[in-house]
Amino acid sequence: MSLRVLIVDDEPPARERLRSMLIEAGGFEVAGEAGNGEQALNLVDSLQPDIVLLDVRMPGVDGLEVARQLATNPEPPAVIFTTAFDEYAMQAFESEAVAYLLKPIRAEKLRSALAKAGRLTRPQLQQVASAAREPARRSHIGVRGRDGLKLIPLDEVFCFHADQKYTTVKHQKGDDLIEDSLKVLEEEFASSFVRIHRNALVNTKFLERIARDATGQHFVHLRGLPDALEVSRRMAGDLKDRFRI
Amino acid sequence: MSAPARDNSARDNEPAKQLYLPDFCTGRAVLAIVIICELTAMVLALARNEVVLGFWPDLARTSMFLLWIGLFGAGLLCVLRGYLNRLTLPKGSVIVLALTAALVAIISSVAYFLGSRAGWLTGSALIPDDHWTFLVRNVVITFIVTGLALRYFYVTHEWRHNVELQARARVHALQARIRPHFLFNSMNTIAALTRSNPARAEEAVQDLADLFRANLSEKRGQITLAEEIEVARTYQRMEQLRLGERLRVDWKVDSLPREALVPGLTLQPLLENAIYHGVEPRPDGGVVTVTGEFNKGMITIVVRNPVPLANLTVRDGNRLALANIKERLDLMYGERATVKSGRFDEEYIVTLRFPFADVASSRS
Repeated sequence: MSLRVLIVDDEPPARERLRSMLIEAGGFEVAGEAGNGEQALNLVDSLQPDIVLLDVRMPGVDGLEVARQLATNPEPPAVIFTTAFDEYAMQAFESEAVAYLLKPIRAEKLRSALAKAGRLTRPQLQQVASAAREPARRSHIGVRGRDGLKLIPLDEVFCFHADQKYTTVKHQKGDDLIEDSLKVLEEEFASSFVRIHRNALVNTKFLERIARDATGQHFVHLRGLPDALEVSRRMAGDLKDRFRI
Repeated sequence: MSAPARDNSARDNEPAKQLYLPDFCTGRAVLAIVIICELTAMVLALARNEVVLGFWPDLARTSMFLLWIGLFGAGLLCVLRGYLNRLTLPKGSVIVLALTAALVAIISSVAYFLGSRAGWLTGSALIPDDHWTFLVRNVVITFIVTGLALRYFYVTHEWRHNVELQARARVHALQARIRPHFLFNSMNTIAALTRSNPARAEEAVQDLADLFRANLSEKRGQITLAEEIEVARTYQRMEQLRLGERLRVDWKVDSLPREALVPGLTLQPLLENAIYHGVEPRPDGGVVTVTGEFNKGMITIVVRNPVPLANLTVRDGNRLALANIKERLDLMYGERATVKSGRFDEEYIVTLRFPFADVASSRS
């Protein structure tokens, strides 16, 4: 059975070349081609490829962000980065033993990379991202819905709210359910989100004010979000000190 | 006595260790000399006299004497400048010192002779009774002042020379700086085309060669606007292969005079920046507009590109290229050339403005 490969590159000639090289190499099947990061994530979901050949520099959702999203999958494909020239990324790949290919790609290097390709771990990706001078955290939240994968920019997220089993993302275009736990989200986005309750994490960018009702219960108001959010007694003091509101 | 004059020949390629005299033939230099002579005369007259008593007659005599020396000296150095500036630093300095000392000695003698005839000598603070005291004193002052002035000219000249060298070094750095990312991506594109479309691959190799030739060219300096536009279009063709339909460039440059002279790599880096910052980071690409206008002897070129969408990765600034283009236009056209850039609504706009000059007009 041949391995199924997804090609991701924003430049048509680059995809075309990889496709013909894969066919020549033998033992591989080109499962599909994606021209940008978002398309790539959707195709990974629908096609379930074994290996993703991933361009680092792409408009919008770039290669590193795609890899960060893939790393949250329960069974992510193996990833091989391709890049023309990204000094920092290259150093990072080198030091973290992440598979990567330099364009123009040589046939024999492609073959050996495909043979060795493995899954990327989150710590590995975090190391790569920080060496590549990108924030280690994701810049988008991936939501799997009926019509494929949707990426919500973190800048547009008001808050995460945990229920029994799922986490709700409230953002500027509505609400969505995700599987990440609040604990994981809090660790990943500690620089821009703050815990206000056992079950809620809010984006500090939208913080407006804290109010208290007759019973002494604290609420937080976020800019652009009509509903006020409950603040636990323990967090209220911290929040006031930290933001002087 | 000489005055610092505007140095018009900073771009001469003389080796550093040569005598350097500014041009004393210009109106500016003469004005500066007159002012310096008058100020010096005032200082001397003030230092020598009780206020009111004797001040005005002394000032008049002193300034007349100094103006003679200053203007004759300027005239002498103006005539001899071409010869003197070819001499080595020590030899030239000695000759200039000797010349000015001789000049001062002659003028002092004439002044003493005329002064004694007119009977100004008695009680004058300017000219003492003894001819030789007067002469020796003036020649010694001349040696000191001329020596200081020569040192000053030399130091300012060296400084200008260094500034020039730095500017040139920056130009070279920019010219050697094709973005590595562009080079390797182009190579990758060519590798792909070699299989699928050998004819286009061949064109792409030729285009890439032309671009490198423009970047590495030894005859940097000036090229015609038509040549520069061709370089920019070649660059566009390379990027077009890579970016496909995402890149559109709208050229409106037909009204520009093709023979106008511009510094090499004026337009191409602007197009490169526009594509790199405004089109490449956008998933749907964008349109770059290049507009040229020619009006009342002034050429205006405007390059517009869409601003990258918010919350996408922001790329490194492009200030370096802009500052560099500004610098080179300044060297060529002085203050009449302007470079403006800024964000207006959803667009980033760079405007170049410089006077028209072609080969014929720049020779005359």
